[in-house]
Amino acid sequence: MRVTQSMLTNNMLRNISLSYRKLEKLQDQLATQKKITRPSDDPVVAMLGLGYRTDLNQVEQFTRNIGEVRNWLETTDDALSQGVHVLNRIRELVVQASNDTYEENQREAIAKELRELNEQLKIIAQTKIGDKYLFNGTNTSQSPVQLVEGEEVIQFSDGAINIEIFSGIFIQTNVEGNDLFIREEDGRTTFALIDSIVNALESGASGKEIEGYLGEIDGEIDRFLQVQAEVGAKQNRVELMENRLQQQEVTAKKIMSDNEDVHIEEVITELITQESIHRAALAVGARIIQPTLLDFLR
Amino acid sequence: MHAQRSALYTTSHNIANANTKGYTRQRVNFSTTNPYNAIFGQIGTGVQEGSIERIRESFLDVQYRLENSKHGYYTQLSAALSKIEDIMNEPTESGLHHVMETFWNALEDLANHPENSGARQVVASTGQMVAETINYYYNSLARIQRDLGAEIDTKVKYINSLIAQIDELNRQIASVEPHGKLPNDLYDRRDVLVDELSKYINIKVNTVVPEQYGQHPPNAIGLYEIEIVQADGSAYDDGNGNRAKLLSIDTVTGQSTIQRLEVTGENSPEDPLSGNVSKIQVGNVLIDNLNFVGELGGLIRAYGYNLNGEQGKGHLPDMMERLNNYAFAFASEFNAIHQQGYDLSGEQGIEFFIFNENNPAQSIRVNDEIINDPGKIAAARSLTADGKVHSGDNRNALELAKIKGKNFGDYVYLQNGENGLPDGMTEGGTLDSYYASMIGDLGVNTQSAMRNRDNVQVLLDSVENQRQSVSGVSLDEELTNMIMFQHAYNAAGRMITVLDEMLDRIINGMGVVGR
Repeated sequence: MRVTQSMLTNNMLRNISLSYRKLEKLQDQLATQKKITRPSDDPVVAMLGLGYRTDLNQVEQFTRNIGEVRNWLETTDDALSQGVHVLNRIRELVVQASNDTYEENQREAIAKELRELNEQLKIIAQTKIGDKYLFNGTNTSQSPVQLVEGEEVIQFSDGAINIEIFSGIFIQTNVEGNDLFIREEDGRTTFALIDSIVNALESGASGKEIEGYLGEIDGEIDRFLQVQAEVGAKQNRVELMENRLQQQEVTAKKIMSDNEDVHIEEVITELITQESIHRAALAVGARIIQPTLLDFLR
Repeated sequence: MHAQRSALYTTSHNIANANTKGYTRQRVNFSTTNPYNAIFGQIGTGVQEGSIERIRESFLDVQYRLENSKHGYYTQLSAALSKIEDIMNEPTESGLHHVMETFWNALEDLANHPENSGARQVVASTGQMVAETINYYYNSLARIQRDLGAEIDTKVKYINSLIAQIDELNRQIASVEPHGKLPNDLYDRRDVLVDELSKYINIKVNTVVPEQYGQHPPNAIGLYEIEIVQADGSAYDDGNGNRAKLLSIDTVTGQSTIQRLEVTGENSPEDPLSGNVSKIQVGNVLIDNLNFVGELGGLIRAYGYNLNGEQGKGHLPDMMERLNNYAFAFASEFNAIHQQGYDLSGEQGIEFFIFNENNPAQSIRVNDEIINDPGKIAAARSLTADGKVHSGDNRNALELAKIKGKNFGDYVYLQNGENGLPDGMTEGGTLDSYYASMIGDLGVNTQSAMRNRDNVQVLLDSVENQRQSVSGVSLDEELTNMIMFQHAYNAAGRMITVLDEMLDRIINGMGVVGR
């Protein structure tokens, strides 16, 4: 086949241009550490990449949510411990008061302390996390203890607050005040019980009558402990979930990286190879296109 | 000597034009002159120049033009698709996917803290970001479409002007050939124009030597007729035997007729192009598909066309429609769920996104009322007995966040019967999967166009190589020829010296015996 100079030069230019294109791609990969910079580089990798990003984002969001839940549960647990502590103290005092040998002013002192402890319980009922009331159901911006026309009104709103801790998995983070401070059979609040104990003391009830209240107090303590156990169980579950999410985050990042990231050793090796090919192409081209017959004609 | 000298002239012409685009090397055909009939035999009388002709293989030209138009098609197509890819900008931090993710995150945070005005503000702001990103995508795609439309107009004008130039060259050739000469350089110039035309549309060249053509040489090429044909070679026909001939030559008189190529859009009967391409015609012959490839074919394919009974085809209209569908489904469902909830003041949720149903992607925006008062975001699901809302009620916020992974078949807005799912959305898909398939399709189309372009490039280069092999000027060869002809010239000159000496002998040396 007849070959002319112009064919040789065109060939050389074309090959050098191709070589530059390969070098450009390698440079891109090294600079971004990613196999692809646009969908057309590898459509399947791009599509999968979108999916993996979603997964990773979800894991991060759920980790945030779980942090929220954990805070709530810890604060609730704390409040419940305090509540049980107060109730135990009340029990002690009632045991003391049921002793008929106590005189008038001793009974008065006990009554006073009982009143203080009742106020303490009311404060526990108004525990806040941030600016949200823990025990008032979904009515978190309003305190369950309100002053209505100079009268103190204690009313708990209901409503479960659910937070998503995993795809489709919701957990109720709050303890409704109605379940904690109010006895189910007759709707009597803990505060009302203590009020009646105080009244009984002040109106001179006998030691036997006071002793009768012990069972009721035990009932309150039992209820508190039961709720605390439930909260404890939730905390365990949340901890397990948290661990699982951390694991998932690592896995999701790894999968995404496997999908999109380059192996830097491979790319650098390819770059070096391509560079030497490029130099060879340039050298050969320069050698071939220069000499013509004119150099040799006399 | 005369013959060798003309060969030298031709050689120098070749050398001078070694780098001229489209130049075909020329060669002088020598033939022997008529012999002299002597008694004992025929004595040759020398050489004469037969003709000067181009060394060109026309079959290679046909191949080249076909590959050239396919190359033009894929080049324009991959360029347009690359531009779309640039706009969609995935998978990066600034693409729509990432923006949507931050919006869903903001909703989840709202569910965690529905009474927090900061969380509400973030939802309103990220909602705005989503709307603005969708607007930007749509407007950018529309801008590309307008640019492509302008390019189509320009290319069509250029095609028509090339035809006019070819016609002019035809005329010039027609003034030389009937006198028995071959206008080689004019042929070359005409072929360059035809090569260039083939980049824009696939054409078939028909050579016509009219009957009334004087004393044309036997190997005269004649006049070119140009016809638009499909990539597989089949012609466009209007059913009455008329073909899509841009330039036709009467076979008897050699008269040329030019028919303009016209590309019109559905919204405009004339330039400039507006709306999808709805009619492509040459004279009265309609071209109803894009099989004529070429750059024009690629441009129209990306721009958008209603041909052969199909509406709104083409990569840009397709992408814009999918974006519209996405925006429509997203905003409709979001509004439907939002309106089922209650805001902080106990009012039922208003529309979160405002959009025009015919034009959702371009018009979507967050309701001003929500931007001015994020308390109007309906995070709660129920009212208390006295018509108030508990600030910790986050159930509607949770429902809103669920839209991300919800199947289209479960969408609530479908139930009020006014609107259905947009075309192309199946019941099992989600917003995420629809968007991913949008990007995936774009990637595949672009990759395939680029690959085709590179493949055709290889074929094109190979054909061009062969053309060069046949017709290209090799400087070394011409220099060798030059020496060859120079020697022949010198030798012929030397013959004259010999004859001169012989004559001298006869005239001056005969009959002088003994002088």
